Amino acid sequence: MKSTMSLAKPAMRGLLAKRLRFHLPIAFGLSLVAAAAFKFTVTEPRKQAYADFYKHYDSTKEFSAMREAGVFESVRPTGK
Amino acid sequence: MFRAALRLSVSGARSLTRSRPQYTASVAARSYSHGKQETDEEFDARWVTYFSKPDIDAWELRKGMNTLIGYDLVPEPKILEAALRACRRLNDLASAIRILEAVKDKSGPHKEIYPYVLQELQPTLNELGIPTPEELGIDKA
Repeated sequence: MKSTMSLAKPAMRGLLAKRLRFHLPIAFGLSLVAAAAFKFTVTEPRKQAYADFYKHYDSTKEFSAMREAGVFESVRPTGK
Repeated sequence: MFRAALRLSVSGARSLTRSRPQYTASVAARSYSHGKQETDEEFDARWVTYFSKPDIDAWELRKGMNTLIGYDLVPEPKILEAALRACRRLNDLASAIRILEAVKDKSGPHKEIYPYVLQELQPTLNELGIPTPEELGIDKA
């Protein structure tokens, strides 16, 4: 129990070092967790979405559809 | 200290439970790994000597205090006493009070340090007639 007569000497050195010893590993850990969470909730689903889209993509069919829609300047629709 | 932090972040939380080897001084004016590490007592003695120079000038006082405040420690009362006496020799009451404010600031969240330092410095403060920021009412913004 702290006496009211005189205060005991507290720790006065290395206080920042002690704080960093505790918080830096946590900071690194949380950063890794944040990166992993982003990877698995954003980048991987996005990559999968692209993969799924292009798995059965028929570029010729899409090209023809665009051509008929008349959006190109280099080729005209197969006009009648 | 940075070596310790690097080791820790690699080895993870389990190293927190292991007791770490105590470095004898938490400061290194130069970060050489060769050469003898200065002990806390040697560090303190060096700074007391610095501020005890009879003809210390105002620049040296400011330089000394700014350097001291840059370290990862709250200066020992005996260093602060030497600094306050240097302020007295330089007729610089403002710096003396500022030194007390700096101690409180350096303590950060550790609220028990400042009252302890004031307790240890009380005889010197009385002798030199230095009021504390609290006595002057300038400790509150």
